[in-house]
Amino acid sequence: MGKMDRWPERATLNRRAFLIGTGATGLLLGYSAMRTGPHEAKALGAGSFEPTVWYTIAPDGKVTVVCGKAEMGQHVSSAMAQIVADELEADWRKVAVVFPTNDPKFNDPLLGAQITGGSWSVRMNFDPMSRAGAAGRVTLVKAGAEIMGVPEAECFAQNSQVIHGKSGKRIGYGPIVGSGKADRTWTPDELKAIKLKPASQYKLIGQSVPQLDVPAKTDGTAAFGIDAAVPDMLYGKPVVPPVRYGATVKSVDDSAARKVPGFVKVVVLDDKTATITGWLVVVARSYPAAKAAAEALKVEWDKGPNAAVSDETIIREAKRLQLDPSAGQFFVKAGDPGAAVAGAAKVVEAEYFTSINIHAALEPMNALAEQKDGHWHIYTGNQFATRTGGIAAAALGVDPKTVVVHQHYLGGGFGRRLDADMVIPAVLAAKDVGKPVKVIYAREDDMQMDFTRPLTYQKVRAGLDGDGRLVGLEHDVVCAWPTARWGIPEFLTPSVDKKGALDSFVVNGADFWYTVPNHQVRAVLNEVAQRATPSGQLRSVAPGWTFWAVESLIDELAAAAGKDPVDFRLALLDGAGANAVGAKRLANALRTAVGRSGYGALALPKGQGIGVACVSSQERATATWTACAAQVDVEPDSGAFKVNRLTIAMDVGTAVNPDGVRAQIEGSVLWGLSLALYEHATLEGGALQVANFDSYTPLRMSQVPDIDISIIANGEPPSGCGEPGVTVVAPAIANAIFRAAGARVRSLPITPETVKAAIKA
Amino acid sequence: MVMLSVNGQARQVEVADDTPLLWVIREQLGMTGTKFGCGAGLCGACTIHLDGEAVRSCQTSVVDAAGKQVTTIEGLGAKEPHVLQTAWIAEQVPQCGYCQSGQIMQAAALLARNDNPTREEVVAHMDGNLCRCMTYARIQRAIMRAAGELRAQKGA
Repeated sequence: MGKMDRWPERATLNRRAFLIGTGATGLLLGYSAMRTGPHEAKALGAGSFEPTVWYTIAPDGKVTVVCGKAEMGQHVSSAMAQIVADELEADWRKVAVVFPTNDPKFNDPLLGAQITGGSWSVRMNFDPMSRAGAAGRVTLVKAGAEIMGVPEAECFAQNSQVIHGKSGKRIGYGPIVGSGKADRTWTPDELKAIKLKPASQYKLIGQSVPQLDVPAKTDGTAAFGIDAAVPDMLYGKPVVPPVRYGATVKSVDDSAARKVPGFVKVVVLDDKTATITGWLVVVARSYPAAKAAAEALKVEWDKGPNAAVSDETIIREAKRLQLDPSAGQFFVKAGDPGAAVAGAAKVVEAEYFTSINIHAALEPMNALAEQKDGHWHIYTGNQFATRTGGIAAAALGVDPKTVVVHQHYLGGGFGRRLDADMVIPAVLAAKDVGKPVKVIYAREDDMQMDFTRPLTYQKVRAGLDGDGRLVGLEHDVVCAWPTARWGIPEFLTPSVDKKGALDSFVVNGADFWYTVPNHQVRAVLNEVAQRATPSGQLRSVAPGWTFWAVESLIDELAAAAGKDPVDFRLALLDGAGANAVGAKRLANALRTAVGRSGYGALALPKGQGIGVACVSSQERATATWTACAAQVDVEPDSGAFKVNRLTIAMDVGTAVNPDGVRAQIEGSVLWGLSLALYEHATLEGGALQVANFDSYTPLRMSQVPDIDISIIANGEPPSGCGEPGVTVVAPAIANAIFRAAGARVRSLPITPETVKAAIKA
Repeated sequence: MVMLSVNGQARQVEVADDTPLLWVIREQLGMTGTKFGCGAGLCGACTIHLDGEAVRSCQTSVVDAAGKQVTTIEGLGAKEPHVLQTAWIAEQVPQCGYCQSGQIMQAAALLARNDNPTREEVVAHMDGNLCRCMTYARIQRAIMRAAGELRAQKGA
């Protein structure tokens, strides 16, 4: 994940055959789970061999694509179906999507798991999904030609039909499937040899076809995890300790809770996975009863070892670690940055901070657990179903194969539902009371027990030569490590100084596309923060803070060199060496945003300014070239400021569904704005000081500025579009505030108070 | 026992008088289109209509709904899709979709009394409804589209 080229599964997919076989419900088309022989298509049809099923075609012609990605509003299910259907030449009106269980056979072919994040889905699945669709089409054309008694070479597919051009004869996919003549095994080599369509022949890819999940989300019928129900189900309300992590339950007095009508039981959770600590679940016959009983419960906790940890403690420890040259590991080390900075004509040093932030998905965390027929069934919406099933199994002490995760729509993911904590109270309570239990976090539980974006501290030292050129940069990133917490070695990245693996999800983005001859990036784990506030993946993860530092710093350097910040960036994006192509695409995105914003051309009134930033979020290997020009208005006496307009340009290579891409950019840019200005969580006494949407305040409709979005689709392969917008906005705003008022803010979120302080400084 | 009229149907529920209407709708009546978001009237995900007025069902006791017409998202377009639901699809508003029942119910109360709202009126009316995916621009566009459609219908 840190370096997606390292995934061993990529090689595995290349060795997999593609099987097409007729079964009782129609045609099944999918990659084999392992190396295959010639007879397996028949076995597939007979139901005796289970492939990784990608899609099915029913005798009525309905195409159902199995989407192993979580649908959380990014409309990935439609995009996956579009990719298959385009090569399959399927009629879009006959295409539907279903979500699988956590069965490993539905794992992502490259990632070897069911995980949705990193803006990877379309990028990584485009080729295998395209080939799956093409193999289906070729097979159906051959079978259709045979049935019509015409030469295969004279036939083509269109709109779910095989057509014989000369005679005009045609047969629908449904009847072909019904004939049972479409069985075939594609060897890996045959599959690889299929010539995919050139972009000019796409019919669905590149079209803003209506998203398949939208209608059900306008009439209340879309089923989210919280909506799941089974007979005899009870309800559970967590009771969480007064610290984020490390507490233990000392005593419980449920005498008052027992008097609440509908009360069933209090379960003190003993979580063997140590995902949660000091939790209880109150089980009752309704959720309001569970909540009332939870409020009547008297619990005494031992607050544990983190009860004194606060933002201040975390920052103090971060600064101590940063000063220790033996701390941490290097993610980038090129040239001799120390010497370059020491010998520079001008040195710029700065500290950048980002606050703790929480996900606050609108659907509170929840899960329904039911033990039935020797299996544990979990109903929830999750971004990492394979790991989550495993965590549930570990908490229960059962074989992971006996845990089935039933995927639902996610009422917001944003990385929060990569974690598995919500299934633990559900399975442990259900096991204890011997009945199905649906656990729903109250909003307060959801906020206080978030796996947060960590508080980050970054220190940079940069040197300019006599001509104002950036010759050396030392960049230290100190924070909790969200991905290391998972304990999955494949998700870590070897350090360049061979001091063991590091969590690239704290430094991605710092390996930017600017050409800097002497450059180092050090990742330092802040253990104090790691223990007290288990951190998580919050939409865009590291680039959300690395670009805050890098893009603010670049502006500070431009100012120190007396250069225009756009010109300064373009000069650094020279595309030399390893920065070939990428740097130039980023420069193009920057020029687009800058040009459309009126930067340098508009005569702005005093107090207004336009600031820019450009990013290659998410990872260097999966970059999406994104730029922002922010126009702000600053009132110098109070520090009050207003973001008037955000101009965004994003090079996505290929936009599978342009309106879907636009929707993702719209949402992610406002996320970036919300994190930049309105969202702020603090830690005090080991507890997150948040409760509900009055103390944690994501952006509302009245706070939306004008937004101008340019999507650059230049025919390169598609790249992710759900996260880069989050990362580019904050530095653009800070740089605009500097242009408008000469004030440099270096902490997120930016508030009138911090702007006022910076004006005075 | 409380007698309710929900989406035009008489319903009888066995719950304490102070039970939030939200949970009665979701758990007793099994209609899950109305969502739990905050339990404190801060997000709007649970918005329904009481006698045509948009209210937060998490802040409404079931007994206060007795004798009134309760309308949920399931009832809004029961006969034919509400003009807002059609506009929501045309503008491809939802992302995760969790807040959208509440958004549509909140907007429907506005359009019922004002089919020609200004942008400012829309923002003021909708500002209590949080969308964590931040689909606000599309929500606004869909409301304006629906308002135009309503005016066209009346003009016709």
